[in-house]
Amino acid sequence: MTATITVSGLTRRYRHHLALDDVGLTVDGPSITGLVGRNGAGKTTLLRIVAAQELPTAGRVLVFGASPIENDAVLRRMVFVREDQTFPDIKVRDALKAASWFHPHWCGELAETLIGEFDLPTDRAIKRLSRGMRSALSIVIGLAARAEVTLFDEPYAGLDAVARRLFYDRLLAEYAEHPRTVLLSTHLIDEVAGLLERVVMIDRGRVVLDAAADDIRGEWTTVSGPSAAVEQLVAGRPTRGRRRIASQESVIVAGALDDIDHLRARELHLRVEPLSLQQVVVQASNPAAEEPNDRTHA
Amino acid sequence: MTTWRIMITIARYHLLQRLLYLVLPWAILAFSFAVNLVISAELPPNTNRSGGLATIYVYVFAGGLLATVRSLPFGLALGVSRRSYYLGTAGLGVVLAAVYGLALTAAQALERATGGWGVTLHFFELSYLLDGPWYLTWLTSFVGLVLLFVHGMWFGLVYRRWNLTGLVAFIAGHISTLLAAALVVTWTHTWAGIGDFFTALSAAGLTGVLAALAAALLAGGFTTIRRVTV
Repeated sequence: MTATITVSGLTRRYRHHLALDDVGLTVDGPSITGLVGRNGAGKTTLLRIVAAQELPTAGRVLVFGASPIENDAVLRRMVFVREDQTFPDIKVRDALKAASWFHPHWCGELAETLIGEFDLPTDRAIKRLSRGMRSALSIVIGLAARAEVTLFDEPYAGLDAVARRLFYDRLLAEYAEHPRTVLLSTHLIDEVAGLLERVVMIDRGRVVLDAAADDIRGEWTTVSGPSAAVEQLVAGRPTRGRRRIASQESVIVAGALDDIDHLRARELHLRVEPLSLQQVVVQASNPAAEEPNDRTHA
Repeated sequence: MTTWRIMITIARYHLLQRLLYLVLPWAILAFSFAVNLVISAELPPNTNRSGGLATIYVYVFAGGLLATVRSLPFGLALGVSRRSYYLGTAGLGVVLAAVYGLALTAAQALERATGGWGVTLHFFELSYLLDGPWYLTWLTSFVGLVLLFVHGMWFGLVYRRWNLTGLVAFIAGHISTLLAAALVVTWTHTWAGIGDFFTALSAAGLTGVLAALAAALLAGGFTTIRRVTV
């Protein structure tokens, strides 16, 4: 059984920097995967190579078991929505028309609905759209294509919060009705946290985290309160991100706390909060912050 | 596999820009023609020649250029291979050239029938190149238009792949090639031979040379698009 997307040993070297460094990733079956990481981490390059818009220096990408490069049969089953899409000098309506010709599962009805919801002027030339409207147009194309592999590269540039919410809602509704393999690169992690089944984090061209979103959520916990009490609770655990103001301290602890820990925390009057997806990602992108556990109380 | 269907869809994608591919070339040519007509009417009635016909060739070059510079990124985003995009675009160029050639041939016939629009203007007729029978006029126009369209495509692809530096180098390459050829001819003292070749060459023969050149440009552009990224 071939996976929907298989990336192995993928490296992309530009003259002065390594955009992707031996990336491996397998996505199989309908799912929504979040591709997260800082600016310039390599998210866009990875998606461009999966969509065969960029070519790898080494390694390979297989989509539906075949290389997408120069492969019409594979490319037809994908749609790639990118933040910086350039369009020819055409109107909104024309871009949708073109998309409907090329994508075999195009749903005109859905496109119409979305156009209405995003309030897009179909008669206007694309170059006269605002940044957010251009993003909305790309989103409409990405959703209405109903492509088996749907790639979104930070598709919300310039979109206001209401429109972003609309995008998330429609993506989820569409996904429920017509499941497909969605890869969504983003740095608004907490906004999409509810959508993601899996999170892949890229940092400096390497995959540094690849896990189910639910697993990640419980992975780190913040404990805060009076210093002495905090020390007592976190003793012997790997910690990071220690912050101290006067006698108050806040520490991030690896792993979920069990029932006994929670009981103790309550006795010690400590606040315990699981880290949000976004906070976990920030932690993961900063591995140097890991502290030696030298303040343990034996 | 590039199918006919994909090629036709790519051509339709380009034709969404009706103004660029269908209206403007003829509007500009019509304007150039009108200007020449007015001038000819004021001149004494000998044979008035004009280079105004060149506008449509220049415009077709620009059309090929924009088809790759401006339209390629969204074209590839629609889920087609570079090969299909290239063949569909070149196919559109061939069809447009055939139709345009037909229109130019008809205009030439009309020009001949009306004694140069009544003012002895030879706008659609060029001595040596475009003054034979109608089918040769069509063939030469067709080949010339295809040549400029695919040349424009290649320019656009070079720009897409290597940016401005690449484009400058590409133009420098063109000039260097011509210079090298001229130098070789000079050093081998064969200018006379070249002159004889072109003198002896009929318009049909020249059309054949242009067709070979167009085929070479088409192949060159294809090698460039294979590794273009967007």
